[in-house]
Amino acid sequence: MFGYLQIDKAELKVREYEAYKAVYCGLCKQLGKDYSFLTRLSLSYDCTFYTMMLMSLSAGCTGFSNGRCRFNPLKKCQFADCKNDCYSKAAALSVITVYYKLLDELMDSGFWKRLLVHMIKPFFSHWRQKAARRYPEMDTIVADMLDAQVKVEAEPSPSLDATAHPTADMLGKLLCLEAKDELQKRVFYECGYHLGRWIYFIDAADDYEKDVKSNSFNPFRLIENDNPKQRMEQTLNQSLARSYDAYILIDNLTDFKGILDNMMLLGFPLKQNSVLSKRQEVTNEQSV
Amino acid sequence: MNNPYEVLGVSPGATDEEIKKAYRDLAKKYHPDKYANSPLADVAEQKMKEINEAYDTIKNMRQGGGNADTSSYTGYQSNGYNKYNSVRVYIQRNMVNEAEQILDAMPPNERDAEWHYLKGMCAYRRGWNDQANQYFQTTINMDPNNQEYRTAVNHMNTQHTYNYGGYNTSQTGNSGFGCSCCDICTTIICADCLCSCCRSGC
Repeated sequence: MFGYLQIDKAELKVREYEAYKAVYCGLCKQLGKDYSFLTRLSLSYDCTFYTMMLMSLSAGCTGFSNGRCRFNPLKKCQFADCKNDCYSKAAALSVITVYYKLLDELMDSGFWKRLLVHMIKPFFSHWRQKAARRYPEMDTIVADMLDAQVKVEAEPSPSLDATAHPTADMLGKLLCLEAKDELQKRVFYECGYHLGRWIYFIDAADDYEKDVKSNSFNPFRLIENDNPKQRMEQTLNQSLARSYDAYILIDNLTDFKGILDNMMLLGFPLKQNSVLSKRQEVTNEQSV
Repeated sequence: MNNPYEVLGVSPGATDEEIKKAYRDLAKKYHPDKYANSPLADVAEQKMKEINEAYDTIKNMRQGGGNADTSSYTGYQSNGYNKYNSVRVYIQRNMVNEAEQILDAMPPNERDAEWHYLKGMCAYRRGWNDQANQYFQTTINMDPNNQEYRTAVNHMNTQHTYNYGGYNTSQTGNSGFGCSCCDICTTIICADCLCSCCRSGC
């Protein structure tokens, strides 16, 4: 479930887009510095969003510096500088989530994929330990999520809400780590909870056809509905709406607010539309 | 108190019209109706209060003092007194577990429309939108004329279409994303027409 938290590039100002790229590259650099060259591959848009959120909340960005991309030395790129540990937090989250994602793959993938996962798992296990030493509460939250998810999927007929709860709860708690008081904790939890719910459901909507074909678990298969697309859209819209309602109550966002607004209001709906319309095309082809 | 102009997000040199517009936009954004059943209702109410105060302060300053009529949107008041009173209080205080305990302890034959409504509120506060929706639907079927229940259902429906924040995700057909089979067919037919036109012209 990676890569759904995107920007709507067309609606960003050029300088905002540059800043977004600079944070993305900065996170990539940090992944290389803290862990290894290989962990750079675990870089995702989701963790970039998390970084931006952290930087915006702590006013951590101090400026930009020039450098070169490690993957393409000919390409010059900018890095956003950060005075606190936003990057290392996000890098840790990235490594930890990839590790647990691998564990999850081990449980429900085919033979070849499992073999591959077995080969790279020891590396990530090592990096995850390193990340968990630095941010133990983060590791606990993600580990709990996977446990709860396995449990809920094993139930005979879990409700739609129950299936999304572990992921939603995870993101809520992760954001709560940044809250400065009880009140803000509630706002962050609500914002994260519904965004997590949205991520879980959009991933499910994205995989729906695949899961139907392979007869794997998918929350939207639980509901009896002749129009699953409408149900998906409603569920996703509502999660996004409630997340946004909580988001606008966060009062100490500083830099990058324009970018974060863009993501919440335009980027995520855009991604949702593209996932749902892709789905629609698939169903159309089947019916033709 | 914060600078009232900053609260409204306008410059001190803004015209009265601009200020009014900024105020209206913000009031719409943080309107208590939007947060009616949300666990963050109190936070939004606080924000709304700030906005109201900022607007009133600016108006007072510009009219050279004097009593400006207060323009506050107020929050919800709980209504009626009945056996569910304690449940409502718990829900308002975000103590969902306690509220549900009382509700679950009620025997099935006493579970009326309001019972389902309050169960829905509990689910909604937890973020379990789907379950909340089911409860609200049951409520409205049992008592279709109650204004409070209808508001809750309408609110759910608004969120299902997510068109506040100025963006609407509802899509008609495949608009904007590549072209569908129909588009291709139409294009081919068009192209064909053009070709045949040319040929007959030659």
